[in-house]
Amino acid sequence: MVTNKKEDEALSTTSAVTGLPQKRFYRQRAHSNPIADHSFDYPARPEDVDWRSLYPSINDEQQVEFADIGCGYGGFLVTLGEMYPKKLSIGMEIRVKVSDYVVDRIAALRLKNSETAAYQNIACIRTNAMKYLPNYFRKSQLEKMFFLYPDPHFKRAKHKWRIINQALLSEYAYVLRTGGLVYTMTDVEDLHKWIVSHMTQHPLYERLSDEATKADPITPKLYQSSEEGAKVVRNKGDHFLAIFRRI
Amino acid sequence: MTTIFYAEPELVIAYGRKVLFLNPNDLQIFKDIELPADLTSCGLKITAPEISEEQQSTSEGKGTDGGKVEVAILNVCYSPDRQLIALTTAGQKALLLYKSRPEHAKLLSVRALARASSAMTFAADSSSVLVTDKTGDCYQYDCVEVNALPRLLLGHLSIVYDILWTPDQKHIITSDRDDKIRVTNYPATFDIHSYCLGHKEFVSGLALLTEEHLLSVSGDKTLRLWNYLSGMELLHHDLPAPAVRLHMRELLPAKRYQAAVQFYDHIEAIGLYELEQTNNIWTVACEQLVRAEAGSWNISNFALTSDMIYVAGAVNEHLALRVYNASDGEQAKTVPAGWLDMVTGSFSDQTCVPEDLSVWFKKRYDNVSDYMERKKRRIEGQQQK
Repeated sequence: MVTNKKEDEALSTTSAVTGLPQKRFYRQRAHSNPIADHSFDYPARPEDVDWRSLYPSINDEQQVEFADIGCGYGGFLVTLGEMYPKKLSIGMEIRVKVSDYVVDRIAALRLKNSETAAYQNIACIRTNAMKYLPNYFRKSQLEKMFFLYPDPHFKRAKHKWRIINQALLSEYAYVLRTGGLVYTMTDVEDLHKWIVSHMTQHPLYERLSDEATKADPITPKLYQSSEEGAKVVRNKGDHFLAIFRRI
Repeated sequence: MTTIFYAEPELVIAYGRKVLFLNPNDLQIFKDIELPADLTSCGLKITAPEISEEQQSTSEGKGTDGGKVEVAILNVCYSPDRQLIALTTAGQKALLLYKSRPEHAKLLSVRALARASSAMTFAADSSSVLVTDKTGDCYQYDCVEVNALPRLLLGHLSIVYDILWTPDQKHIITSDRDDKIRVTNYPATFDIHSYCLGHKEFVSGLALLTEEHLLSVSGDKTLRLWNYLSGMELLHHDLPAPAVRLHMRELLPAKRYQAAVQFYDHIEAIGLYELEQTNNIWTVACEQLVRAEAGSWNISNFALTSDMIYVAGAVNEHLALRVYNASDGEQAKTVPAGWLDMVTGSFSDQTCVPEDLSVWFKKRYDNVSDYMERKKRRIEGQQQK
């Protein structure tokens, strides 16, 4: 079993009870300007990414196929890793503290489960997914992309910061393979309408029927596994789900 | 921004509200365009953004309310068939289309732009023009239906510095501040064909060499050659300084090309590179730097002919032009007497303010180290308890 230094460090911010990092040390405000310059170390191209530093037991044939865009505190990413142990899933998060939490959380989970070598298939990177997806993923690499509870950016002047917009949909279609799926979930109805309208208008996506949506085994997990989703359920809010296929 | 380029036999220079089409070999001015101080007088309709439909200026020259803005020419382009001239303006943001005649240019249409343009290119068949802006959006303006509304074709997330349309019109190539070169299909512009990735700073210039080969220059001090269809980098050449502009001349089709690069903040203003392809391998055959008295004046743009380099810039806030030999970089002695004065005299009524290009570079700041430091101290504090 392969370990790395991160897993030893992660222990120190952990709770003595669960062995997992405590969220209260990683709180950060929800909103972020994705267009501004941030200090990111991003790779120039997918060939330059050191995947082994993220997935210690990766072999040469494997590549990331599931991407949770804006993974937040990683709740859904962990579920995804458990549901698909043979697939590599990645979480992308722009906020410094939040992505650090997920990195620590994964390290702690790997340590706790060292017997079964579980959670070797999930990782989190701090990056701006709106700008750098083609830097990480080759054309048609991804099988699934998740946009769960994205920042609605309510003000009209901020609409161009929304993670789903016409220009970006073409970029997402580039990294997503034909037949790949985009899962979108939000509790803000206006944002849901915006997403459905933009994706329906884009020639490379078609919306999944209600039956197909219900039949997808991931669908029930979308409601509760992420921290945002659980919060919406607690506050008795609405969930708006839309799944699209990249044609 | 000063525009200068050579469209044989005319040397085109534009700044402020004036465009001159000159003969570089004598004192003849082929034609000129002078824009009015207020473009609504030639038909520009200005609509207030997203607020109400009622704030449209009429075309009777009423002028805009709410402050006069200086009209300044940004990009000027000749159509490939030389029948049309397109130019874009800042201040009152517009795209103007002219019919080019030997003696004068006739205004065909004035269309509003949503934002100031950053790059422009014509289709190979001159039927439309693509304009990109500082937010990265790329619009297509029809040049046959000269008053047709623009179509939004594609968008980047940062300013697009250069745009090309392949001669077969199947691909549009754009480069932006986020180090990306993107190859998009046309007319299916929602479908990205490939990316040419590798640059580490803004990509300021693009040039097409052959049907498959693309040249690019960047603020990361490199000049790179790509097979743009596959996205593969074929040649990587280091430059002495960040590059902010690229002009290219074909010397021998598919074999030899001359690339001229303008540098940012460097003792040599321009670099000339000869690229050669032999047996499918590209090399930089020769290299020459042109000092052009960099540092003593503010250089903004240049044009390349077969034997001369025309450098435009600002001296004492007025447009200045200097000419150098392409062969040795020395000041050219063959410029007709009085020619330079004639040119600078034509622009003497306009103040020439140099553009600050330092903003092109990404501001990298560290928002991680502080957090990691605090985290480390917190952990150590906990362990000591």
